[in-house]
Amino acid sequence: MAKQYKAIGDEAWKNSVEKVNAELFIFTYGSLVVQLLRDHEDCTSVNQQLDKLGYNIGVRLADDMFARTTLDRCPDVRSTADAVAKVGFRMFLNTTPTVGLWTNDNEFSLLIEDNPLNDFCELPPRALRDGLWYSNVLCGVVRGALEMMHMQARVWFVRDVLRGDDTSEIRVRVERMLDEEVPAADE
Amino acid sequence: MVVINNLYIFDRHCECIFYTEWNRTNSPLAVEAEAGRGSKDLVRGNQVLTGDSSSSRSSLDGQRPLVWPTTSSSTTHRVSAESLRNVAMEEEAKLVYGVVYSTRNIINKLNSKDSSQGGNPGGFTSFATNTYRLHYYEAPTGVKFILNTDVGTTSMQPVLEMIYRNIYVEYVMKNPLFRIDPKVSTPIENDYFRAVLNNYIREISSAAMPTS
Repeated sequence: MAKQYKAIGDEAWKNSVEKVNAELFIFTYGSLVVQLLRDHEDCTSVNQQLDKLGYNIGVRLADDMFARTTLDRCPDVRSTADAVAKVGFRMFLNTTPTVGLWTNDNEFSLLIEDNPLNDFCELPPRALRDGLWYSNVLCGVVRGALEMMHMQARVWFVRDVLRGDDTSEIRVRVERMLDEEVPAADE
Repeated sequence: MVVINNLYIFDRHCECIFYTEWNRTNSPLAVEAEAGRGSKDLVRGNQVLTGDSSSSRSSLDGQRPLVWPTTSSSTTHRVSAESLRNVAMEEEAKLVYGVVYSTRNIINKLNSKDSSQGGNPGGFTSFATNTYRLHYYEAPTGVKFILNTDVGTTSMQPVLEMIYRNIYVEYVMKNPLFRIDPKVSTPIENDYFRAVLNNYIREISSAAMPTS
């Protein structure tokens, strides 16, 4: 099962996705974060804004991923985690995080070794002190995409290379499965 | 020769976000337009075309087909919200959704593959009556496409998949101004989407009968 996702992800990256210059993307994202910091002084609200941005991106990426690959719905959370890491991240960021640290079958971690957004970036001491998660947009993306797949999840950063940790880790907890909506009954 | 009658798109919240027709008698859209205007003009989107007021129309001759729903922001003059609601069309959309929803659930149950998250594991693809065949496609995210064609057409699954992958995702999902809200459904009011869809359907209709 895992090999199948990796193959799908590699194939999608090679054939189905238009590529853009990585530096352009990295610099655009960096200037976005800097502008948000200037607008909102407080790092917690910057984190929230990045999460909201990511959410809007994520709800669209779910459909985009299905349009470009032959995937169908995943039967459980474990295969969903594999699909997100091996297909989703590979297709859109060209990096494959490792899925690990499972608890209870519905909570897992994505360990990202080479987050492309972190290239050329160094956090100033004020941001380090106030708790800025630079790539928080990724948390929003995962949350939005999972919500389109009928899974309500809480996604947050645990460790970040920019803060001095050895690797970046995003924790995902699937809180509940959302049921499909039933059409409103006429009285 | 494939005759395509109309297309419905329903989103995850059971709302009809798009309906268009190319070949239909007694359409609730034309009747409403006539009654509302009281003249022989048929209103199509923002354009007003003078034409005959016969209730049977075929739109594969170069004119743009009628589309629903349209909100007040897309008309050229301010009209009160009530006069723009097409109740007959709304009811019809609800009926169609109900039929398709129930049929899909029955099929899932009979295959012992039903779940509360929906989806189409039972593989409901189409049903036929004496006069038309209804084709159904459900994307993994819950968006549903319903296409009515003539009875002779066997399978429109590849067509519906094409519409989802290359038209809906490209022009609706990737449009940042299309609001995706967990609580509110937004109708599709995108001219590019309509134009590309019309061109594609026109191509399909004039191509040879697909062998399947």
